[in-house]
Amino acid sequence: MIEQIREKARELLESGELDVVIGYAEGSDPSRTTPIFCRKPEDTDKLVLDGRCVNTLPAYLNKRHEYPKKGWKKTGIIGKGCDIRAITQLVAENQLKRDEVYIFGAECEGVVAHPEKWDGSLHEGNCASKCSSCDVKIPLDTDFYPGEKPEVDRSGPYLVTAPALATLVKMDDEDRFAFWRDDFDRCFKCYACREVCPHCSCNICITDRTMPSWVDQAAHTKGVFGWHLTRAMHLVGRCTGCGECTRACPVNIQVDLFNQKMKEVIQESFDYKSGYSMEVKPPLITYNTDDTENYIR
Amino acid sequence: MSKGIIRHDFEPKIMGFVCKWCTYSGADLAGTSRMDYSPHVRMVRLPCSGRIDPQFVIKAFEQGADGVIISGCHPGDCHYNEGNYYARRRNLAFRNLMEFNGIDTKRLEFSWISAAEAIKFTQIIDKFTNQVRELGPNEGYRVLLDPYASRLVKSSEESAA
Repeated sequence: MIEQIREKARELLESGELDVVIGYAEGSDPSRTTPIFCRKPEDTDKLVLDGRCVNTLPAYLNKRHEYPKKGWKKTGIIGKGCDIRAITQLVAENQLKRDEVYIFGAECEGVVAHPEKWDGSLHEGNCASKCSSCDVKIPLDTDFYPGEKPEVDRSGPYLVTAPALATLVKMDDEDRFAFWRDDFDRCFKCYACREVCPHCSCNICITDRTMPSWVDQAAHTKGVFGWHLTRAMHLVGRCTGCGECTRACPVNIQVDLFNQKMKEVIQESFDYKSGYSMEVKPPLITYNTDDTENYIR
Repeated sequence: MSKGIIRHDFEPKIMGFVCKWCTYSGADLAGTSRMDYSPHVRMVRLPCSGRIDPQFVIKAFEQGADGVIISGCHPGDCHYNEGNYYARRRNLAFRNLMEFNGIDTKRLEFSWISAAEAIKFTQIIDKFTNQVRELGPNEGYRVLLDPYASRLVKSSEESAA
């Protein structure tokens, strides 16, 4: 599978059709892979693709990273199914043009929840929870796919996969607030959750703006609440659920619980699943005069 | 004096983010008509309910508000044609987010009040004030704001001990 992708990537780099291919290469230790930018055809020999490839590479396609401005006219990217959904969502939000990228897709067997849990193979004990209800193991939209792409039914609703969410929604408000207060107490605002996110598109993040200071900069619990609420609100209806924010968190805060909850709400209220269509706009940037609600007096 | 004055143990702080074309004018009408309503609401006039960023609400709670009321024109009446439709969708998501974060959604009120509905305005404000008063102070955020509050000893108690 990866051999065919290497071959195709080499061919396209040699012909000059692609300026760069973003993929995964062996990392600093055997349990890790690292993102690699292949500029030369021979670099493509380093590409790997297996259960260790956790990073969401479309984060590099986001405008805030300014990689598209480096004079690269066409970027190749190797994506798992969930990454390709992130690209689809970026196109739907006009953050990216579809013809600027060339997508190498491959069938994905799932990825490890965290590189620390890698023990040489992928099994139920270390597979990421998002993979349990994945319907894009055969990727949705690809330019190159090794072999024949079988038809998959993707019409099912979005399913919440985090086990912690079920217990959280059953709690009463006070307990839930206490849960988040204890969790957010650890947050020291490294903003790793923002940096890995393919959908955080602001050139200057609202938390980096100090005039006026909407989100408290200090790593005080008050500011941390403000930050995580702001982050979750900005991703409503846009998050494609790669779960990178939780994996990147150095203090193990499950920040994607917010995203998963909101995805469920959006699915129920607007029947929208992010990352499946380039034409349908995310629900919060559009409206329908027939919308129903039950909270307005 | 037509109305008796009741003294309560707790007087809530309520922030109001309102649309200037409808709710603020409605409040104006209530004022010029000399209508009685709770004085706890601090109103911020904004161009449209679509202008009300959830960030304002987050900030209001952070700064110690016990309740927040958002109000704008009825659907179809927006001065900018579509602002309140966006607000409706956004606040649906935002309420769910606040609830998931553990903030009682009874502290968050959304209503459509037109410029002519001064009576509805006074009713909504009174009802919401009573609702928040029953809930009491927003303890969750009070603890966040001052983590050592529970350990503080009053100076009179200290001297007695």
